Amino acid sequence: MDQAAILDHRFLIAAYVVTWTIQLGYLSYLALKWRSQKREAARNLREPL
Amino acid sequence: MKKFAIGLYVAITLALMGWGYYQAIYVAPNDAMQGEIFRIIYYHVPSAIVAFFFFAVSLVGSIGFLASRANHADRAQMFDAWALAGAEVGVVFCTVVLTTGPLWGRRAWGIWWTWDARLTTTLVLWLIYVSYLLLRRFAAGPQMQTLAAVLGIFGALDVPIVYMSNRWWRTQHPAPVFGGGQGSGMDHSMVGALLWNMLAWFAWGVMILAIRYYVERQHQKISAAEALRALNA
Repeated sequence: MDQAAILDHRFLIAAYVVTWTIQLGYLSYLALKWRSQKREAARNLREPL
Repeated sequence: MKKFAIGLYVAITLALMGWGYYQAIYVAPNDAMQGEIFRIIYYHVPSAIVAFFFFAVSLVGSIGFLASRANHADRAQMFDAWALAGAEVGVVFCTVVLTTGPLWGRRAWGIWWTWDARLTTTLVLWLIYVSYLLLRRFAAGPQMQTLAAVLGIFGALDVPIVYMSNRWWRTQHPAPVFGGGQGSGMDHSMVGALLWNMLAWFAWGVMILAIRYYVERQHQKISAAEALRALNA
């Protein structure tokens, strides 16, 4: 493999890793938000209006 | 039954992601001019198209909110949740576009960024919807949802401009893959991988859109309950 092909390969991997990091990062953020809301909803049930 | 359907959808989505990756890396051939770096297109182009779709969802949600806020309060809140979910998921996909694009550009053009029409209008689109999300996060008061809906509608006006930018103006960005003029498009052996990845990212996007919508609806219900409690205190 020549130097250009090695660099191409590294940039390709970087692009795919960045894509998955953004997508899975957002999914994790949603999961944390969902969990905190479940706790809040449970607390509201314990302390009714 | 509902749990089974959700599980099946998630399984199909993950299978599509795996199949799309396999097609992009192992099945599609290298580009004759660009070599391996060309394979970034299999994540870059589907992310752009899916981002456009979710900004359209946000547009419909914003219009629906404005149309129903006076007479149908609960329906308006549903539209508002769709508008927010569409904008947020659209920003996620647009962020992918704006990071994978420069990675490709650095190898193909020798530069990370250039202020051509396609890149600039895409950046403006991203900035408008980031402003939308910041408005929703930090603004308070009863007018916030209305202001956000108006901003969401204005933001969506940039989508056709982004789409048409490399048709209307001469750009450094490559010609359109689909719907371009003579000489545009891609080889038949590469189209399959692109379409599989479009389907996979669309399915993934719909999944996270549904989660975001559900989370926002829960948030609305909790906020309404807290407001009621404060009134009764």
